[in-house]
Amino acid sequence: MPSPAPPSTAAPQSTATPASTATPQSTPPPPKSVLYLTAARIDFYYDSFLLEADGNVRLRTSDGFTVSGDSFSMDLKNNRYLLAGHVTLHDATGTVKGAAISDFLDFRRIYFVPVTGEPDRWTFLDGDLAHPVKGRVMPDDAFYFPVIVQRPSLTAGGAVIDTRTYVRFVNSHTYVAGLPIPLGTDVVNFSSNPYFAQNSLSGASADLTWTVAGSPNALTALHLRYDPTYYLYGSIEQHLVGDHEYAIFSVNPATRAEKWWNLKLYEALGSRFQIQSFTQYYAQQDWLRLPASAQQTTWLNAVYAFPHSYVQATSQLTNYNVLGPGALELPNSIAGNLSHPSQVAISASSFQNRIADLPLFEQIFEGYGFNHDSVGAAQYLNGMPPYWPQGGRAFAPIPIPGLQAYGAPCTEQPSKYYTYYCPVYTTIWDTVFGFTFFTPALKLNAAPSPYETYYFNASFTKQYQWNSLPHWIGTDTTSFSISRQFARWVNTYLGYQIMNTGDYYIQGGYQPCAPVGTTYCPESLTSFRGVSTLRTTSLGMNFVPDPDFNASLLVRHHDDFPIPVPGVFSMPPNNILGQPLYSWYLGQPPYDATGDVRARILPHMLLDVSRTFYWYGNPYRTEFWQPNFVIQLLPI
Amino acid sequence: MTRWPISLAVIALAVALLAAGSSIVVSGQLLAYQDGYVFFTTGDGFRVASNVVIRDAKTGAATSLVPGPRIWARATFDPSGTVTELDLSRAPLPPEGSFADVAHFAVALSTPVPNPDLLRALQTPVPGSGVPAVQQFSGEPVLVTFIVQVPPNTPFTSSVYITTDASAWYAQAIPMDRVDALHYQITRRYPSGTVFRYLYDRGSFQSVEVAQNGLTRPPRNLTVGNADVRVIRDTVYAWQDAAAGGVSQPQPQIMPTPYNPAPFPNLPPGIPPPQPPPAKPPS
Repeated sequence: MPSPAPPSTAAPQSTATPASTATPQSTPPPPKSVLYLTAARIDFYYDSFLLEADGNVRLRTSDGFTVSGDSFSMDLKNNRYLLAGHVTLHDATGTVKGAAISDFLDFRRIYFVPVTGEPDRWTFLDGDLAHPVKGRVMPDDAFYFPVIVQRPSLTAGGAVIDTRTYVRFVNSHTYVAGLPIPLGTDVVNFSSNPYFAQNSLSGASADLTWTVAGSPNALTALHLRYDPTYYLYGSIEQHLVGDHEYAIFSVNPATRAEKWWNLKLYEALGSRFQIQSFTQYYAQQDWLRLPASAQQTTWLNAVYAFPHSYVQATSQLTNYNVLGPGALELPNSIAGNLSHPSQVAISASSFQNRIADLPLFEQIFEGYGFNHDSVGAAQYLNGMPPYWPQGGRAFAPIPIPGLQAYGAPCTEQPSKYYTYYCPVYTTIWDTVFGFTFFTPALKLNAAPSPYETYYFNASFTKQYQWNSLPHWIGTDTTSFSISRQFARWVNTYLGYQIMNTGDYYIQGGYQPCAPVGTTYCPESLTSFRGVSTLRTTSLGMNFVPDPDFNASLLVRHHDDFPIPVPGVFSMPPNNILGQPLYSWYLGQPPYDATGDVRARILPHMLLDVSRTFYWYGNPYRTEFWQPNFVIQLLPI
Repeated sequence: MTRWPISLAVIALAVALLAAGSSIVVSGQLLAYQDGYVFFTTGDGFRVASNVVIRDAKTGAATSLVPGPRIWARATFDPSGTVTELDLSRAPLPPEGSFADVAHFAVALSTPVPNPDLLRALQTPVPGSGVPAVQQFSGEPVLVTFIVQVPPNTPFTSSVYITTDASAWYAQAIPMDRVDALHYQITRRYPSGTVFRYLYDRGSFQSVEVAQNGLTRPPRNLTVGNADVRVIRDTVYAWQDAAAGGVSQPQPQIMPTPYNPAPFPNLPPGIPPPQPPPAKPPS
């Protein structure tokens, strides 16, 4: 035998092909096999997808043979296994004893060391166990065990391995702080099909997933999650996956009164067309009792690809009160309003095209939309609270139809408490046109070292939206940045962005701010007529002294119109992790600084902690922290 | 009188040197120990003397360890190629000797036959034949830097991540750092030979990258070759949740707001809704 190559090391995220693995060229992919494994102890290592078993190992394969031995090792990603020590190979043609057997499943080669009086070397080609090729030289690493230094992710008494897809462990235990936690059946999916990862869950600070059932095309998972909004809760998710389609269903949280039921569907029809949908049903209900409130939205999207562009049609149907008008009746109504807007949009977008030989790219898009709501939404009633007047005063469901109320107060006001505006549009057609120019990274100097080189980026995006009511919106965004990497472990950038948004009405438009109650109208709001300018200067720094540790700091200064004044503008809502839902908004504090630290705390786990500090500077000198740290545990 | 002990010492030394030169010591990991043979993970089987001595590799004393799979051993061969001593350890032993020196002691009934699979791997493909050369990997760590250019409409406050099949497609598996208005970057260390598939996303599969033609794109493939450093430059053309001019996909646990073609959702209540100009007084 040639001199041995170093043993393959089980490295994080590695599906390393061991050194000098010279294997036959794979022609058509082999059929998938199912392996049934039992042993005194089976260990699984999640970070390297290694399966190790010792003691009275028995392996039955869907290829029609059984093997027993002392120790078993399988690299799930490389799709090969080894069984060694007092091996007995049994199939329809008979039984042979030996020292070790190694099956390279992808290449349909089985390497066997029989002991028939004396050792020998046999190779079984293409699953033919009746006709071994004797004496054939074997790959150097055919019988190597991986070197493992970490503790197993879970242990089990049995496993069913569907090659290239999943392992179902039986009588399994996982470990937390060294203590075993029984899981019973647990499934680990290691398919390279990303459809298995499609999910309909929101983000969470931490998520412990127990995959209780699985097959080549399905996965059932229970989640124990934590986030700053719902705290600790349980969720359930079901995946059904094919080569060109998937269906995902979930309830999240499943153990809180506020439940979100999600269904996500996708189908690729040929190489140019795909269709997908996402349906979300929100219910406020204790367990599965009659909901006190229910909303639903369905999003449909179809895309057709052309050689240099694509067209997509999108529709969204939302029903803000699935329970009907009765659910609005006082005194216990929390069911929202009766609006059920529907939207349809067709848009076309070009590819990114280079302009001549210039370092300049362009992309254009346009679209047509139809929006309709015969009922209307509370947000168009100035001063209307989001749900219902407090205090128990009898009040009918909102009678004003339409998508947008445009105009002066209605001549007849149905309420003496709130102001209704007329006329109201129940249908709005719109046309969208936009384009983008951008430059990729341009070198600003011819420095001898990449660590002394400055790069320049710029982009400009313009979008128009013309609505069928006498109204159009124009937005343009211009960005510049200069960046430099000072060393392998530190880089910085200085960016400047201007975003202009104009909300224009053909006749009339925004009126000067007028104090309402205790509302204060600062000077810039008094002169505001629907055009805003947001200028942001950013300084970002990243420190990466080691791939396992990262710290970044982003400091921004906003010079906006209308000028932000503390307490005048409302802050945007946060997402479930406590981060602002919008990337920009009127009234954002003039300064903010965000620090983010990431560190690997376990071989397969990152901890990410970030928080933002906001301050106004002169003359207000108001400052505040983001309400909470954003903490996430990220499996890697 | 003094010559007698000196001669004795010289003879003893010569005997010791001869004895030392006749034995070969090789360390490695055991594959099996059965039927009078010891097998190493090279696949080679060697005869074991009936009176083989088994010791602890670290202390040299007797050991309760039993030779078998996964156990590391230092094997001493006599001049006939029989293993006369095995020093065992659960931990890897430092490399000692070479299996090339004892390969001719390995017992095999059949005469070695070349393996066409392996020969094909060693051959250099004919230029222009279209047959790819077989890559060999050392397993040494490689610093891999990913640099991705994102679409210009990527929100400035967005985080960008790499999701891989090695982490079961967890969407936030590898957080990246923004390095300028259009680029994100991250450096990771992988052993050469690492193979995985990956995609870029903005924190979830609702915001995963899509192909330039708007369709779901297949994952990218990465095979880390032998190198000290590798830089990978990719381009994301669009995000699934930020299609230009379209209706955005709703986010989980966020019911979309009703359609309202007014771009300022958080104006203070002091600003009334847009309205027509006041009617001119009759002239």
